[in-house]
Amino acid sequence: MADEIIQIETPFQFNEENRREFDELIGRYPIKEAAMLPTLHLAQRQEGYITPAVMKHVAELLEVTVMKVKDVVTFYPMFFEEPVGKYVIRICHTLPCALRDCKVVLDHLKAKLGTDVASETNLAKGTTDDGKFTLMKVECLASCDVAPVIMVNDDLYKNLTPEKIDELLEQLPN
Amino acid sequence: MVQEKRILYEHLNVPDINTFDVYRQYDGYARFEKALAEYQPDDIAKMVMDSGLKGRGGAGFSTGLKWSFVPKDIEPRYLCCNADESEPGTFSNRYVLEKNPHLLIEGILICCYAMGIETTYVYIRGEFTLGKQMLDAAIKEAYEQGYLGENIRDTGLNVNIYTHPGAGAYICGEETGLIESLEGKRGQPRNKPPFPAVEGVFMKPTVVQNVETLCNLPFIVGNGVEWYTEMGPTYADTREDPPKPDPNTGTKLYCISGDVNEPGVYELELGLTCTELIEVAGGLRGEEVKAVIPGGSSAPILTHYELDTRLDFTSLTLAKSMLGSGGIIVMNETRNIVDCLLNIMKFYAHESCGQCTPCRWGTPWVRDIVQRIADGEGRKTTITRPKFGVTESGRWGDTGETEEIYEDLDLLEEVANNIANVDTMTWNTICVFGIAVSWPAVSYMRKFRPEFEAAIREGKLVTLPVAEATVPPEENYAYQQRFIPKEFSELE
Repeated sequence: MADEIIQIETPFQFNEENRREFDELIGRYPIKEAAMLPTLHLAQRQEGYITPAVMKHVAELLEVTVMKVKDVVTFYPMFFEEPVGKYVIRICHTLPCALRDCKVVLDHLKAKLGTDVASETNLAKGTTDDGKFTLMKVECLASCDVAPVIMVNDDLYKNLTPEKIDELLEQLPN
Repeated sequence: MVQEKRILYEHLNVPDINTFDVYRQYDGYARFEKALAEYQPDDIAKMVMDSGLKGRGGAGFSTGLKWSFVPKDIEPRYLCCNADESEPGTFSNRYVLEKNPHLLIEGILICCYAMGIETTYVYIRGEFTLGKQMLDAAIKEAYEQGYLGENIRDTGLNVNIYTHPGAGAYICGEETGLIESLEGKRGQPRNKPPFPAVEGVFMKPTVVQNVETLCNLPFIVGNGVEWYTEMGPTYADTREDPPKPDPNTGTKLYCISGDVNEPGVYELELGLTCTELIEVAGGLRGEEVKAVIPGGSSAPILTHYELDTRLDFTSLTLAKSMLGSGGIIVMNETRNIVDCLLNIMKFYAHESCGQCTPCRWGTPWVRDIVQRIADGEGRKTTITRPKFGVTESGRWGDTGETEEIYEDLDLLEEVANNIANVDTMTWNTICVFGIAVSWPAVSYMRKFRPEFEAAIREGKLVTLPVAEATVPPEENYAYQQRFIPKEFSELE
């Protein structure tokens, strides 16, 4: 049934390391479905984004319908359904960062990368042509004391200024 | 000046405190061992009740009371530690997770021992990658050292802790939203009752506690209830006769950000005033305080007239605001309140989970109204009502006076109050997200109405001087009724 609705070109499988991690994860919960978020995180780390094949595989592993996986993926902003750049830059623009001029940092980033800000339904809008960066706005990153902040993939950068942005972008390997 | 009282944060900056060995040198796990050796589980629950500890996550509900609702005859029971810190302006849990994760584990162990719980899930925000790594490493060490797992310290106690990553949804900080998310679904809050204490995760009794609340437990057990209750004011709840004590005991990790010179987390006894806190945080950056948000962006704003309000659960509730998660955001005279409200409303419009219609449609609507006002396109009408008085010609008659009606401000209040009514404190939504939207919307608009009116009138954002922008406290519609509580010791 699911195959008829979702066109899957290449099936997805966890690699060996992630499969081991998944097997460990699943034992933590009395019901399999509860491992949904960590499993999707794991899959996204391997594949880069959540493809229909990923959803199908996760659904099989957790013994739920594909729709249920899709349901979860669309709810949480951290799961991507489109390809993103190698570096995902998340810039906080909630009030405490706004009071500390995050707009200056955002404008500088936009000019420097030559891209717009991604929206949740259009990630390509915020991705650079070479596929290196995706720029997106996020809500409070819980680091208001060192505002303005950005996250580049998993790392947090604090007290940013346009100069610090220049420095940071230069030292990121291709 | 008020001095910091570091208890939870005392050893935060000790090098390598995140490792078991160093943590052990600083009394680590000694309080848990004391609990095992000297107290029965029920004694611990009683100590927590007597300590007056209130939940630090936002609602400020008595922890001891929450524990007492958990049925003891249903197995298994779960503990969910809420580390989904996403309230704008709050950042104290992040430091605990990143720097001193063993303290949290010790707190969890004490809670599990008291409640007979074997499984704990720590729901960590998806963005806290480092915090999750540190906590995972600490949990691993604790297993190796025999403080987690089966038959801990040969007492027959079994405790397992698992971390569970979130994925960037604010609503998962709400306890039932967190539970839904933990079960692998969309994080849409559940109707209450049944409360999580009775039917929570996997439909079993569940205690949901914030990181900071759990971190208080080792100190209550280690130093005793008497020591703990000496910190912070105990008010008299005069609604009852004789007055009932209303404790606001312990310290709070105040997170202060915005226009202060030294933003950061300050651990202080509950009950200091706004002015004192700003002083502790290195003073104001700017000339004068325009507004203070006392408890994360959901809390109603305080004006410069209200800076003497004490920052504790009871005082702020009686001032018609809330301490919430203790995220204090200060704004100086250069800030435009319309602009600030727009920022916050964009946040809520983005984060509404979409489950209840008033919130799903209301939040973007409120955002659009504020956006319109900020863009200089706020709607108003000028109406002419017949008004009897002395006319220009010196006779009695219709004076032809006009009145400006700010339609958008009335609409803003109406829409916000239809999500959740701030005057009656009733909400048309399943969870309290509704009130978290309408509280800021209505309070900013009422208390800083001149600035909103000016933006509509002038067709652009106008930042008025503080005195002109603020509605004075005599205007009751803006402040509702504000009470200042009496301390228990002050009663006759």
